Amino acid sequence: MSSLDIFFQQLANGLILGSFYALVALGYTMVYGIIKLLNFAHGDLYMCGAFVGFLFLSLVSGLLGESWTGILCSMVLSMLTIGLLGVLIQRVAYRPMLSAPRLSILITALAVSMVLSNGVMALTDGDYEAFNTDLGFEGLEMGNVFITYTQIVLVVSAALLMLTLFFFINRTMYGKAMRAIAIDQDACRLMGINVNRVIALTFFIGSALAGAAGVMAGVYYGSIHFFMGFVIGLKAFTAAVIGGIGSIRGAMLGGLALGLLEAFGTQIPFVGSEWKDVFSFGILILLLVFKPTGLLGKTEIERM
Amino acid sequence: MKKRILTAALGSALAGLLFLGQSAWAADLKIGIMVPTTGSEATAGKDMENAILLAVDEINQAGGVLGMQVTTMTGDDACDPQQATAAASKLVSSDVTAIVGGYCSGATLPTLKIYGDAGLPFAIAAANSTKLIDANQGNAFLVNSTGYDQVNTAVELFAAKGAKRLAVIHQGDGYSEDLAKLTREKWAGDGKEVVAYEVVNKGEQDHSSLVTRIKSKAPDAIFWTAYYADGGLVIKQLRRSGYRGLIAVGDGSNSPKLLEIGGKATEGVYCFSNPSVDYLPTAKAFTDAYKNKYNQAPDAYSTLAYDSMMLMADAITRAGSTEKAAVIKALSETKDFKGISGPVSFTEQNTLGHSNFVVLIAKGGKWVLAE
Repeated sequence: MSSLDIFFQQLANGLILGSFYALVALGYTMVYGIIKLLNFAHGDLYMCGAFVGFLFLSLVSGLLGESWTGILCSMVLSMLTIGLLGVLIQRVAYRPMLSAPRLSILITALAVSMVLSNGVMALTDGDYEAFNTDLGFEGLEMGNVFITYTQIVLVVSAALLMLTLFFFINRTMYGKAMRAIAIDQDACRLMGINVNRVIALTFFIGSALAGAAGVMAGVYYGSIHFFMGFVIGLKAFTAAVIGGIGSIRGAMLGGLALGLLEAFGTQIPFVGSEWKDVFSFGILILLLVFKPTGLLGKTEIERM
Repeated sequence: MKKRILTAALGSALAGLLFLGQSAWAADLKIGIMVPTTGSEATAGKDMENAILLAVDEINQAGGVLGMQVTTMTGDDACDPQQATAAASKLVSSDVTAIVGGYCSGATLPTLKIYGDAGLPFAIAAANSTKLIDANQGNAFLVNSTGYDQVNTAVELFAAKGAKRLAVIHQGDGYSEDLAKLTREKWAGDGKEVVAYEVVNKGEQDHSSLVTRIKSKAPDAIFWTAYYADGGLVIKQLRRSGYRGLIAVGDGSNSPKLLEIGGKATEGVYCFSNPSVDYLPTAKAFTDAYKNKYNQAPDAYSTLAYDSMMLMADAITRAGSTEKAAVIKALSETKDFKGISGPVSFTEQNTLGHSNFVVLIAKGGKWVLAE
C-alpha cells in the first residue's frame, strides 16, 4: 500500500467511525441544549438499542430472514422502544430533578447509567452475544482502498437520519419549540408551549438515534455486550464537546472530526497505535483551552 | 464427669480402631491429592480429583504398584495460598508417599517449600506459572506446559507455514502483553522480522484504522495474544479489509464464542490450547471410563491430572521402592512416558521437555485439531 492509499483508507475508516460518534453525540447535545443535563446514561441507551435490535432480529429472522428488510424492521422497532425508554427515564428520573441543583441531576444520570448497564448484565449473565448477520465482505475496490457495501449503507443511513433531524429542528413547529425552550423555558410556558411534552419529545428523538446507532453497530461489528455503551458514550461526549455542546451541527461535525482524528492518530509515524487516544484527547484538551465553546458553540453571556 | 469418661472411652476405642486399621493396611501405598474442592475453582478441582481417582482405580485393578494397593487422601487447597499451606502440612504429616495435583499456581507456590522440606515427590498436574520453576526445590515436576511453551509452539507454527513477517497484537494486560513480548523476542531472536507490534484497547469495537496500519506493513502472519471477545472483532475486520495471510490466536481466545462473534471470517484461524479431552484422539478410552464412573463429561484439566497420577505410579514402579529420594530420581529420569495429553519427559528444571500445547484450527464454526 502506498501512503496515498493509506491516507484514503484511513479517511474512509475515520468517516465510518465518525458517523457512529455523530449519531450518539446528537442525543447528548440535544438533551444538553434543552435542559442543560449531561445525560451520562446516553451510551447505555445505545447499548440497550443494540440488545433490543438483537432481540427483534432473532424474532423476525424466521419471518424475513436476516436480510436488509429484517435489519431495517428491527432497527425501526428498536428506535421506537429505546425512544420510549428514554421518555420513561426522563419522566421517572429527570423531571422531578429539573428544579434541583444541576449536580443532583448529573448524579441521577450516572445512577440511571448504572441501572441500565447492570440490568442488562443481569439479564444476559454478562455474556457476549454474537450478532451474526453475515452481510458479506463484498465492496468497492479503488486501487488498494477497499470499502464494503455494508459500510456505505451504514454511512448513508446515518447521514439520512441526521438530515431528517436537521430539517425537523429547523423547519417544523416542534423543532422551533425545542429551540425556543433551549433559550428560555419560562417565556415558552407563557407563550403556551407545553414544555414538558417538548422535553419528552427531545428525549424520544435523542434516545431513538442512540438506539439506531446501537443496532447499526451490532450489525456492523457483530458482537454486543452490556458494557459496549461505556466507551462510545465517552467518545460521543468528547465529540459533542469538540463540536460545541448544545449545537446540532456541532455534534455532527465533532463526531466526524473525532473519527478522523482517531483514524489518522493510529498512523502517527514512529509511535505505536496505542498513542491514538493520547493524540485525540490531547487535541480535545488543546481545543478546550483555546476555544472552550467548541468548534460551533456559542459563547453564553450570563446576565446578573 | 460422666461425659468425660464416655469421651475418653470413645477416644481410646477410636484410637484402637485406627491402630487396627493401620496395621491391617500397612502394605498400602498412600498418595496425597492436592486440589481445590471448595471455593471458586471447586469445579475444576473436583474434576481433577475424579480423574486421579479413576487412575487409581485402574492401577489397583491391574494389581497396584509394587504389589501394593493405592489409597489416596485429598487435601483441599481452596485455590487459596493460606489454606493450601495448611492442607499441605496435613498431607505431609499423614505419611503420604507422594503428592499429585495442583491447579491454582498461586496456591501451589507456597506448598512447594513444605513438600520440598519433607522431600516428597510432587507431580504438579495443571498449575503452570513460570514462578513455580524458581521455587521448586527439585522434588516437584511440572506435567503441564508453561507460558514459554506456548511461544515455542506458536513460533514453530509460523515458521512451518513459511511466515517471515510477523505482526503481534495484544491488549495491554499482563497476560496478553507477556505472551506478545515473549513471542516478539523469540521471533526476533530467530533473526526474523516483527513488522508490527500493536495494542488494542479493551472494549473498543472499531479497529479499522489499526487494521489498515497493520495491513500496510504486509505481514505474512498475525498473532492475537489476548481474549476471544475482542479477538473475534479484530479477525473479522482484518478479513473484511482483505487480509488473506495466516491468523493465530493464543489460549485466551480458545472459546467457541470467538468463532460465533467472528463468523465465517474466523474459518482457518489457528489457536493454541492446553491439551484438553475434546481435542485429544488418545483420550477416547479415558473419556468413556470417566463418563461411566461419574455420569458427566471430563473437563479441561482432567487428562493432565490422570497423567500425573499414572506418571507417579510409573516412577514408583521404576524406582522399585517407595523411598522418596529414589522416586524423585525416577521421576527426573522419565523418558517419553506415554500420557494421554502427550509424551512426558523432563528438563533439568523439572519442566515438561517439550510444549504440550496443541494447535487447533477453525473449521465449519468449530475448533478441531490441526494437522
